[in-house]
Amino acid sequence: MAAITTAGASTTATDSRPVAARTTDAVKEYGKADAMVRALDGITVAFGKGQFSAIMGPSGSGKSTLLHCLAGLDRLTSGSVHIGDIELGSLNDRQLTMLRRVRVGFIFQSFNLVPTLSALDNIVLPLTIAGRKPDAAALAEVVRITGLGDRLKHRPNQLSGGQQQRVAAARALASQPEIIFADEPTGNLDSRASTDLLDFLRHAVTELGQTIIMVTHDPLAAAHADRIVFLADGRVVSEMHSPTADTVLDVMRHLGD
Amino acid sequence: MIGISLRSLLSHKLRLALTTIAVILGVSFVAGTFILTDTINATFTSIFATANAGVAVTVHGRPIAGQSGGVGGGQNHPIPTSLLATVRGVPGVNDAVGSLFREGATLIGHDGKPIGGNGPPTFGANWITDSAISPYRLRGGKAPTQPSDVVVDAGTAAKNGLTVGQSLPIVFLGGVEEHFTITGIAGYGSSDNLAGATIALFTESTAQRVLEGQNKYDSILVSAQSGVTDVVLREHIAAALPSYAVAETGQQAAAAAEQSTESTISTFIGTPLLVFAFISLFVGSFLIINTFNILVAQRTRELALLRALGATRAQVMTSVLVEAAVTGFVASILGFVVGILIARALLSVFGSASTGGVTLLPRTVVIAVLVGTIVTVIAASLPARRATRIAPVAALAEALPETQPLPRRRVVIGLVIFVLGCAALVTGLFTSAGSKLQLIGVGFLCVFLGVALLAPVLVVPVATVLGWPVAQVRGAPGILAGQNARRNPRRTALTAAALMIGLALVTCVAVITDSVRVSTNDAIEGAFRADFIVFTQGPDFNTQAAQALQQDPSLRDVTEVRGTSVIIKGSSQGIAAIDPANLGSVLSLSMVSGTASAIAASNTAIVDSTEATASGVHIGQLVTFDFPEGANVPIRIGGIYTANALVSGYVVSIATMAPNVPTERDAIVLANAANGVSLSQAETALHHDVKSFPLLMAMSRSEYRTFVGASLDSFLNLIYTLLAFAIVIAVLGIANTLILSVLERTREIGLLRALGMTRSQTRSMVRWESVIISLLGAVLGLAVGLGLGVAVSGSLGALGITEIAVPGENLIVYAIIAGVFGVVAAIFPTIRASRVDILRAITAE
Ligand SMILES: Nc1ncnc2c1ncn2[C@@H]1O[C@H](COP(=O)(O)OP(=O)(O)O)[C@@H](O)[C@H]1O
Ligand SMILES: [Mg+2]
Repeated sequence: MAAITTAGASTTATDSRPVAARTTDAVKEYGKADAMVRALDGITVAFGKGQFSAIMGPSGSGKSTLLHCLAGLDRLTSGSVHIGDIELGSLNDRQLTMLRRVRVGFIFQSFNLVPTLSALDNIVLPLTIAGRKPDAAALAEVVRITGLGDRLKHRPNQLSGGQQQRVAAARALASQPEIIFADEPTGNLDSRASTDLLDFLRHAVTELGQTIIMVTHDPLAAAHADRIVFLADGRVVSEMHSPTADTVLDVMRHLGD
Repeated sequence: MIGISLRSLLSHKLRLALTTIAVILGVSFVAGTFILTDTINATFTSIFATANAGVAVTVHGRPIAGQSGGVGGGQNHPIPTSLLATVRGVPGVNDAVGSLFREGATLIGHDGKPIGGNGPPTFGANWITDSAISPYRLRGGKAPTQPSDVVVDAGTAAKNGLTVGQSLPIVFLGGVEEHFTITGIAGYGSSDNLAGATIALFTESTAQRVLEGQNKYDSILVSAQSGVTDVVLREHIAAALPSYAVAETGQQAAAAAEQSTESTISTFIGTPLLVFAFISLFVGSFLIINTFNILVAQRTRELALLRALGATRAQVMTSVLVEAAVTGFVASILGFVVGILIARALLSVFGSASTGGVTLLPRTVVIAVLVGTIVTVIAASLPARRATRIAPVAALAEALPETQPLPRRRVVIGLVIFVLGCAALVTGLFTSAGSKLQLIGVGFLCVFLGVALLAPVLVVPVATVLGWPVAQVRGAPGILAGQNARRNPRRTALTAAALMIGLALVTCVAVITDSVRVSTNDAIEGAFRADFIVFTQGPDFNTQAAQALQQDPSLRDVTEVRGTSVIIKGSSQGIAAIDPANLGSVLSLSMVSGTASAIAASNTAIVDSTEATASGVHIGQLVTFDFPEGANVPIRIGGIYTANALVSGYVVSIATMAPNVPTERDAIVLANAANGVSLSQAETALHHDVKSFPLLMAMSRSEYRTFVGASLDSFLNLIYTLLAFAIVIAVLGIANTLILSVLERTREIGLLRALGMTRSQTRSMVRWESVIISLLGAVLGLAVGLGLGVAVSGSLGALGITEIAVPGENLIVYAIIAGVFGVVAAIFPTIRASRVDILRAITAE
């Protein structure tokens, strides 16, 4: 059965597995004075290594903001973020870029791919940017499990939405990062393509030991995760381990009250 | 709809900024040229008007054949001083004075150098005592009364620190220095000076002696008795004149002087500058097309939505064109203002900004505004047409494909225009018809347009080749730079084409200059036999120098070469005259038929084979030369030679020419070292001799060769300067395209940054795209310029340009400079790109 913790202001990975990324008292404010929005309102949360974590919550609850701050794409107003042992607040732009390049992979909701590059070139793009040679075996494996073998020479505009997201997923895996961050990766996909992508992500966690943190508002998507963290109004309001679609819906209904 | 275009205009201020600058630059060049020439003309007009204020009628000789034009009027035959008495005897004449006014009195400054160098004309004239008629107004001192007295113009005196009582060396007609004493300073009419020229005034007998006008006047100036109108007086005088003289009213004379001045200024200043101004505008129009294309592409959704909401195609078209017209109009006004500044700057360079103000004619404003606005609207009409083709459904589409395949029609049209351009060019180059220059101009234009239309086809292959090394060196940024340069071939092609035009013209001129250089060197090595050459950069010089050299025992074969223009079969043509006795020792002409020494026979000429073929002349034929002195002389063709860069056209003996020209002037003097005298000894002696002739230069063959090279280099530099506007506009165009592309690719750049691209890699990506575009422009420009240069050089056979040379080093330097321009153009775009906000980029919808 799913273990549910509600109303906890902070959560930690309950099992003893090592932490891949965590925040402590993370606060993110936008704007000034009257127009100020507190997108993150003191979040302390940790995500385990080799785990598939989901972040859920109503629209505007701060999911994307949390993900961006975790991934080194944005900076906190106060509090701290760690990826492994590294505290991101102390890094300058160049160091943050290097961190993203080496330790982090991304799958965005849309516009994931560089339109001028072929699928294969997009997959190896982070490696190319880093001036690294892709590991042929690992690359072949990634390509095999994404099932993109016959599409590698195609440009993004010659691929379907589902294929494009799989290319993005393959790219995220190809550089063998410590963590993959995904922001609503299935947001623009039909259910068939969503399932394919989620199965693929699940597979990466189970078989390859990949760590994935995924923002979603889709209970079916979240059900693929090992653990779900629920946000509302910039706070962690609940969490759940080994979710199913039904239990997720229960919690969402409960939180919606 | 117009409201929408104006709002869109304001929201695209930044994007239109560079377009505006391009139009401003082009228009300012056009306006500046007009303002400059108008101002110079106005200066002369007011000078002529005030100087001629007291003159009712002017009497002068008939115009010298083939010598029309020139500042202040064409050259006329002098008239005998005896005519003065005739004129004085005409009823109604109050007073009449003779005037001798000629170029060829060069003042030597305190530094021992000729005042004015080889710049403005150096006039000498007789002082006119009747102050009611005289244009000269004594400002200080007194009029010349002694043979060694001189009065100088106030402008020259002030500029060179000349004061009354000083001794002043003067060189006449390129001869030896003579020493005079300054007795007075005079103004010309109410101005200090004749627009920068120097004027030295002598007693009448001195003027006649030094200016070689014994018993001659150049004109007679007449004042009328009160109650006699100029027109009536002119009629009376004309009736009394022999047939070789004509009478004009003072007004007619001033108008003729004005007109001749205007046409001279427009030929030497106005027209050449306008050509370059229009090149700048032409290049600018590429930038305008690109900007509006990109704006239309970026507004596709907005325009499609308007279409979906019921806007007609015409309304969409109008909205784009109104935006263009407003931009063009505003930029033109600014361009006009900048043009004023340019004209002022140029006037101070020419040294005649003494009056300070510039002449602004309504015509200039109208032309500036019309040209700027029309060019902008025409350039924007292509993008506007594209805007009308946006389907209403585009409003609903996710995203439009960035690139559309190049329509075959465009390739065909490009090819046709290119081929027609080549045809017009070749026809123009090898015809002698009056439309020669127009055909060449149209040819250049069409070649550029054709290549610009075809360029998109070349973008992918050329950018692939250029991008490969960049990708190797720069990794991901390099790869992406190449991809980005290729992704929209039309945009890249248009951007590169603008640079192509500037570089092609530079290359073309470089090829021509180098061909002239090599051909001249060949001629110096081959045809030119003399050890030494004496010449000047000013007007031809009198025979004093040749006489002095003939006395020098270190030299032999001292040979004068003279030139004059004659009218042959209705067109004016320069011919040369040389002493046949030494011809073989100083020149070696390669003869096609006949012999060079044939000119020893009187009234015999040799002619080069190109000219002979062009005008259908053969050996033994009689050709009529209409000489300046008015005689129509039948000249027999005694030989045909191959033209070289130093000798071409008709050549006769000095004995044949001398009786038919008014003066004896040498263009160059050639000489050899005497037997038993070493070259260096002879050279020392020659330099010693020539030192007495401040305006002349003496050089050995190798020095002359270097000198010719240096002159060609300074010509090339002048062309670089004139093309700088066009090239600056092209570089702005690259910057413009890149800025707009960076704005368009914000999301993509944000994605790359998220994926680990550093700011410096981002900058590098944009910079290398810029370099690739520039190098594409360079490749096209060098190729087209090479073709044009070879074609033009190949057509100059008649001028003895027999070798076609390609200045490889220059071309490599141009390509490198183009690459550097790419880096410079990328400065702002790279800053933009590196500042892209990652989050905004990846979350923006
Ligand atoms: N750049 C920004 N400027 C101002 N407010 C922002 C910005 N980004 C997000 N917000 C605000 O922060 C809150 C959380 O946003 P977000 O993290 O995008 O929510 P979610 O992804 O859960 O929908 C929202 O109220 C949103 O309006
Ligand atoms: Mg979100």
